[in-house]
Amino acid sequence: MKDYTEMELKDFKESVTLCLLCAACFYRGPIIPHNWRELPPHEWSSPLRKCPSFEYYRFRSYTAPGRLTLATLVFQDDFPITDDLIKIIYTCTGCGMCNEICPTYLPLYAIQAMREEVVGSGNALPKPLPEIVGNIEQFHNIFRRNIRARVLEGLPAKGEDVYFSGCYASYRVPNVAKATVEVLKTAGINIAHLGDEERCCGFVPRYAGNRSLLKELAVHNVEAMKKAGAKRVILSCAHGYSIWKNDYPKIVGDLPFKVIHIAELFAKLIDEDKIKFAKDIKQKITYHDPCFLGRHLKVYDEPRKVLRSIPGTEIMEMERYGKWAYCCGAGAKITLNCYPNFAGAIAKERLFEAREVADTVVTSCPVCFDHMKNIAKKEKIELQIYDLPLLVAEAMDIQL
Amino acid sequence: MEIVKTLEKIVGPDSVSTSDTICQTYSYSSQLGKAWVTKPDIVVMAETTEQVSRILQVANRHKVPVTPRGACGVGGHGGPLQGGILLDLTAMEKIIKIDVENMKSIAESGCSFFKLSQELFKKGLLLPTAEYGPGPSVVASATTPVNAFGKTRYGRNIDLVEGFEVVLPTGEISRVGSMAYADSDMAAYYRYITGPDLVGLFTQANGAFGVITKIAYRCLRLPKLWAFHSYYWPLGKIDNVTKVLMESTAIEMFDVHINDRWKYAGLEHAGKVPPLPEDCYFIIYFTVNAENDLELKGKEQTIEDICRKHGGAYLPDIAESFFAVWPTFFSPVTNPIFSELMNVSRETTGGNYLSIFDGPTYPLTWFPKVYTKLMEIGKKYGIWGFPRLTVFDGFAMKSQVMASQTWTFVDLKDQHWMDLLERYRNEFREWYGKKGGVFQSSLPPFVPNYVWTNQPSAHALLKRFKGLLDPNNILSPGTF
Repeated sequence: MKDYTEMELKDFKESVTLCLLCAACFYRGPIIPHNWRELPPHEWSSPLRKCPSFEYYRFRSYTAPGRLTLATLVFQDDFPITDDLIKIIYTCTGCGMCNEICPTYLPLYAIQAMREEVVGSGNALPKPLPEIVGNIEQFHNIFRRNIRARVLEGLPAKGEDVYFSGCYASYRVPNVAKATVEVLKTAGINIAHLGDEERCCGFVPRYAGNRSLLKELAVHNVEAMKKAGAKRVILSCAHGYSIWKNDYPKIVGDLPFKVIHIAELFAKLIDEDKIKFAKDIKQKITYHDPCFLGRHLKVYDEPRKVLRSIPGTEIMEMERYGKWAYCCGAGAKITLNCYPNFAGAIAKERLFEAREVADTVVTSCPVCFDHMKNIAKKEKIELQIYDLPLLVAEAMDIQL
Repeated sequence: MEIVKTLEKIVGPDSVSTSDTICQTYSYSSQLGKAWVTKPDIVVMAETTEQVSRILQVANRHKVPVTPRGACGVGGHGGPLQGGILLDLTAMEKIIKIDVENMKSIAESGCSFFKLSQELFKKGLLLPTAEYGPGPSVVASATTPVNAFGKTRYGRNIDLVEGFEVVLPTGEISRVGSMAYADSDMAAYYRYITGPDLVGLFTQANGAFGVITKIAYRCLRLPKLWAFHSYYWPLGKIDNVTKVLMESTAIEMFDVHINDRWKYAGLEHAGKVPPLPEDCYFIIYFTVNAENDLELKGKEQTIEDICRKHGGAYLPDIAESFFAVWPTFFSPVTNPIFSELMNVSRETTGGNYLSIFDGPTYPLTWFPKVYTKLMEIGKKYGIWGFPRLTVFDGFAMKSQVMASQTWTFVDLKDQHWMDLLERYRNEFREWYGKKGGVFQSSLPPFVPNYVWTNQPSAHALLKRFKGLLDPNNILSPGTF
């Protein structure tokens, strides 16, 4: 199955088909039990619990095959788009586990295409998506805010290394922006920021099915980066990184600059001896792979390398890690906003999984970080939660 | 609706749905495609045997059909034949017991076969009849025949089942076979108890005689060493191929499997596999295992002797690639080779996978006649050879029988080809049925309204049982 983002939606609609309904993508069993001789290596040791929306809602409708079936019916048989159907389609977290398991049908693309169909057919999106889209159109960020993190205000508007902070680090968890900037500055990087020229990356519109808004934002942000003289765009947000890396080139063509995630850059700077740690972090740490950095972009090793480089740390893996990491529930920021109980339940499961092996969980995305922190507080789960720049800054003894 | 409220009281409101959209997704199997659908009216998710019992009692009071279903829908038809209640058993998925010493296991009906298989493997045990993917449950594997690997020595899953806990259509909970005394001091240890074997009544029954809620399997000890080999023959040597199948099955190798070259035609076309030798038409794959090198070498030598005696030529690597290379073919959709094959199919036919015949079972001696007939009718309707990629997949089993499937790639939306396929099916069935052949998958009907007529006395008895056990004909109605 081809990526529908590389073909016309109408062509995709004609070619989409029922899958084998084998249930490999969601059901509670290993996708490969053994090969008669041995158990699978990690790459093929899929976890029992895979699909967050199946685990929460339990009906097969909330699985990739269920959604693929509905997509086929809607696209080819005029099956009605009802409120139930919209809920089923928008409760997919976009975590990408189904695509990881099934390169044959790549069900996530059908789900994405269905969201575009929902938008295109003029149906009401789940609340508060219309409001978020309105915020982006009016305020250029998802939070309807005017004042961004103070640290960003002091940065030059032009430069070769430009930090694209995104909505979360700019407005919701400014300490992540501050930590990112201070670490990079300490490492000798002259970091710039687009200031008011930075607009929402378009992640929410993309995963809500609003491709035209995504396109508009992509064109603006890429042009702004060009004007700023960027040779390297640096992101701390996994969601934003996936949009810049996976989607923008499909919209505007090859980008004239490099795009890098902070975890990759930190790993590089450690190799170059430009990041120097000043104190031990004596914690048992586990790493939560953000879906959009891990499965969507295959960045697994670099953040672990950074964590291992910090003196004093003991790195533990959760049962589900790397390509099999479970979603934190933020769910492409769609489930987090539209279905908070579901998003909370998934985060709770993930946090308990982390607590099984560690006293600290680190992630590489301010969205996942913020969501997990909020749920840990709400559920009184005793676990320290960091976004990677925050821990690196602490280990470098940078006062935030 | 009163029945919905009652069901909600039994399982909780979050486990019942009458949503059209939700019900719709329970209506399909890949085998029948989306062209044929019977939508349930209510989906109910049970978590305990007692809940299943109460649900069936309610259904009986209201005379509403009930169809149990697990997670997947690859072979057979997982959806209902009539509307009513779809009983989703995916939440009943616990492994209840693994008894390593006595080599037994008990699991709930919705437990993934792979999940059980992996846990057994970790403990040095084996259930050889591995399924395709984690979706098929431990019970689906017994209520439908299942084609997979490891059948040659041990038969199908059904041959390894020792007991069931089953909820009868009236709601009564029964335990048959070894499950009849599973709670006793000796625990479940043998299928055959005092009196006739009742386990058989519920196997291959598609849930028509009762909803199975627990299953007991006998397991095998995991052998230490494994080897995989394949040999090939030209089409003109089909009789030699048959002799090899018969001789190797008679000595009960772990697995003997056969394909024709069409399995690789799409990949050859796409340049994804090296071309097969020109005279390679049938490929037989052998899987053997042993406790030590000497035993393994002896078995490998036996394979070679049988194949050479009957003119076979060695085909390296292919057999090994089924299982020894990660990701194995246990989960086809995950395997890049399968994905490539599907891509070729999409490009050449706009097609998707479709099983034409799943589970025809016949004596091994009949392999040449059955194969030749499949080919003859296939050619007549233009669905043999490239680009249709119609593939024969045969599983030689103990008792000297072959269970085969024939699958093709066809655009399910292309009515022209769907009609031709239907004619192909019907013509083959007519010939096959008259010869006494039986289908063991997708028990009647393979497609809606199909009546299988060549085993009349057995069907008559089954219908009487059905009438006695299920007076309101609520459970999987249409199956018998």
